[in-house]
Amino acid sequence: MMRRVRELWIGIYLIPLAFLSLFYVYPLLSILDVSLRPTGALDLSGFARLLSTDYYLGTLLFTVYQAVLSTAFTLLLATPCAFVFARYRIPGKSLLLSLATLPFVLPTVVVALAFASLLGKNGLLNDLTRTLFSLDYSPIQLERTLAMIIIVHVFYNFAVALRIMTSYWSSVGIAAEEAARCLGADEWALWREIRLPLIRPALLSAGALVFIFSFTSFGVILILGGIRFATLEVQIYYQAVNMFNLPLAAALSLVQILSMLAMLMFYTSTQKKLHLALASGKTIARQARSGLERLGVGSCVALISALLFAPLFALVSRSVLLAGRLDFSNYGSLAEKSRGSLLFIAPLDAVFNSLRFALIALIAALVLGLIASYLIQRPGRLSRLADPLFMLPLATSAVTLGFGFIIALDEPPLNLRASWLIIPISHTLVALPFVVRSVLPSLRAIPPSLREAARVLGAKPMDMLLTIDLPLLGRGIVVGATFAFTVSMGEFGASLFVAQRESVTIPVVIYRLLGDPGMASYRQALAMSVVLMIVCAGGFIIIERMRVAGVGEF
Amino acid sequence: MLRARDVSHAYGDIVSLREVSLDLDEGEILCLLGPSGCGKTTLLRIIAGLETEYKGVIALEGEDIKPIPAHKRGFGLMFQDFALFPHLSVAENIAYGLKRLGMKREAIGEEVRSLMRRVGLADLDERDVASLSGGQQQRVALARSLAPNPRLLMLDEPLGSLDAQLRDALALELRRIVKSAGLSAIYVTHDHREAYAVADRIAVMNTGRVYQHDAPRDLYRRPRCEFVARFLGMTNVFPKSDSRILDLLGRTEAWRRSTGSILIHPAGIELSDDMDSSALRIESVVESAVFRGGFTEVTVLTESELRLSFALADLPVSVGDKMGISVRRDSIIPLNDSLV
Repeated sequence: MMRRVRELWIGIYLIPLAFLSLFYVYPLLSILDVSLRPTGALDLSGFARLLSTDYYLGTLLFTVYQAVLSTAFTLLLATPCAFVFARYRIPGKSLLLSLATLPFVLPTVVVALAFASLLGKNGLLNDLTRTLFSLDYSPIQLERTLAMIIIVHVFYNFAVALRIMTSYWSSVGIAAEEAARCLGADEWALWREIRLPLIRPALLSAGALVFIFSFTSFGVILILGGIRFATLEVQIYYQAVNMFNLPLAAALSLVQILSMLAMLMFYTSTQKKLHLALASGKTIARQARSGLERLGVGSCVALISALLFAPLFALVSRSVLLAGRLDFSNYGSLAEKSRGSLLFIAPLDAVFNSLRFALIALIAALVLGLIASYLIQRPGRLSRLADPLFMLPLATSAVTLGFGFIIALDEPPLNLRASWLIIPISHTLVALPFVVRSVLPSLRAIPPSLREAARVLGAKPMDMLLTIDLPLLGRGIVVGATFAFTVSMGEFGASLFVAQRESVTIPVVIYRLLGDPGMASYRQALAMSVVLMIVCAGGFIIIERMRVAGVGEF
Repeated sequence: MLRARDVSHAYGDIVSLREVSLDLDEGEILCLLGPSGCGKTTLLRIIAGLETEYKGVIALEGEDIKPIPAHKRGFGLMFQDFALFPHLSVAENIAYGLKRLGMKREAIGEEVRSLMRRVGLADLDERDVASLSGGQQQRVALARSLAPNPRLLMLDEPLGSLDAQLRDALALELRRIVKSAGLSAIYVTHDHREAYAVADRIAVMNTGRVYQHDAPRDLYRRPRCEFVARFLGMTNVFPKSDSRILDLLGRTEAWRRSTGSILIHPAGIELSDDMDSSALRIESVVESAVFRGGFTEVTVLTESELRLSFALADLPVSVGDKMGISVRRDSIIPLNDSLV
């Protein structure tokens, strides 16, 4: 009987591994195959073209260039803010810190559109300045510029950098600084010789993360930049979908995968140093006293609030204001397909699509993620391998995943190309690491003695799962499920590849609407974006509440 | 009621039990005493059914328990960290095992209330276990393991995580509760004073073996080997081959019977003031004297340069004082280094 139980468990553990092999490893191997052997024999001409053509080399250089700029500006803004957050008591600090992470769950299409509404030619800011100063031209000319892309990247990554550095700075303490002060260091020397060198690990770690996010940015650049500002991701999409040049797209994907691997290795190494120093955690925050200190705190709060709320406010106001009056017709029109649109369905149907796919992805990612977490948590060498294995989808760009799907899953025995199932499957893959990351800490926090105590008290294996594990995993499961749902609702890169005709999702519809001619479609896109923003913000609230309350639970 | 014969166990390459044999009688409290890593907890886990890979036989009333899974053994186990279920209230924790037995709700409620009275926890039933003090958590853990009326109760360092003051009081109370329930129990600890207080019999373990297996008083009076003597806190242990010990004692019976070393039991050392002929008189100089409250811990250096420690009832002593001491002959104890 024991043996049967063990075999059953092995069978269950194989399910997420099989899923990963089929829908992650196999598509990636297909990319490798197409890039190295486009005609069946080894042929590196694709790579030769890639490296010899200035254009593609330019793409790679530009990808790095914009990522470096994004990282630099993010750190430039986040470092002083982190200092203020770590050192001074600010009313509502934790709320502000938590709100600042909202962009993390906002879909790229929504954010891109929000910034277009704020800073675009006919955006909110231009409207305001025109009215205020009675100008007859738009003073802010950011549409289709690199500056716009960088600003949006800063919006996305600011909170990530802020959180990492604030917690690190709080833990470093001020003893070294006070010692230096006694030894005669002035404010400038303090920054140069004490503060910055001390938070170097956090700076590196945050920088690496921001660089990775910016390097793989897709939706933002596709919508705000276009082909002129093509990064690797955008180029892969263009080559695959617009040019049908699959070998070149595959070669670009391979470059992308390799760069990601290198960057992740660097990031993991910075993370290790970070954890060593995070042992102590006494608060060093105090009241801001001097005028200068208050100014610093004030501008910090103002910056974060402006960065966070201005674009979202602009998006909402653009969607409900028509010629200066409240008008909800944009929302009313969602039920019908606008004339001249290239869409196959009415925008509202996409909402139902998205909800349906997100629900399927939630259930699938939850089941697979729970099993995977149990597999990872088991002692043994195999389990230690499983941990990074299930993180891989997170480390692979969505565009690469989507591209892999269409070249791998388009022929028997597994022809999913035309099936709507391919969408929730791709979303499940993207959401899986989030579920594992949410469940695993709770699972690891259950002391083995609890299960043993239950067993000795007469609990059968099933009793143990129902009375011990599931109740204790509750919060982790809710957070994981919400992540899965939100990620699926906002997923853009992979969906753009795999979502076809009637099965398009909200983000895809928003992108297509933006491509349509005419203001009607644009307004529909605004309204759709607001709907999506509200759904994701709702998910964000659930995640933050459950997570904050979950700290120190056991 | 419980017999262990030649039980061996290993975690990978690390051997944790080497052919351990033990008996537990009905209604008896047996203490497994030993330093950490000696295998006492492993033995407990094997009996509980939490470790299933072992050699040898463990039988309950003559029946091998190996094929019975942990949840069907009907044993109680109290964990060192208590392992209280953090998501359940005090009452729900205690009721957990009763529910598994399929008892009716009312019957469970009644049983839980009576248990809480027995362990001194009345009125705490709806409390969150995290909000309890260490001593209260210990009582909940005890009540929980007592609830399903186990055939055998096992306690793994049940007082280990509590502070010293609480430990003494709770050790006695534990014994009272276990005895009044008429249970057979195995009690694991590394503290010999706790073992003396709780146990009917003590098995001293080290490196996976049982070194000695005796009633507390016998164990204290006659440790059988150097490890046991030292583990019980006795330091006057000298190798048989040491010429100074031969000079002091001569070839006494104890010296002849020893196969390894000689213990001069601290309880047999006192200030010599009379002409007791059964005692050995020794001149010495006080090397250190530590006042411990009710007594003074004295270490002296004898003329033959042996260092002896013993407790002296309250008397002013200073370092350098000359002191005549007497050693009772029956407290010169032969120790065996070859094992049991």
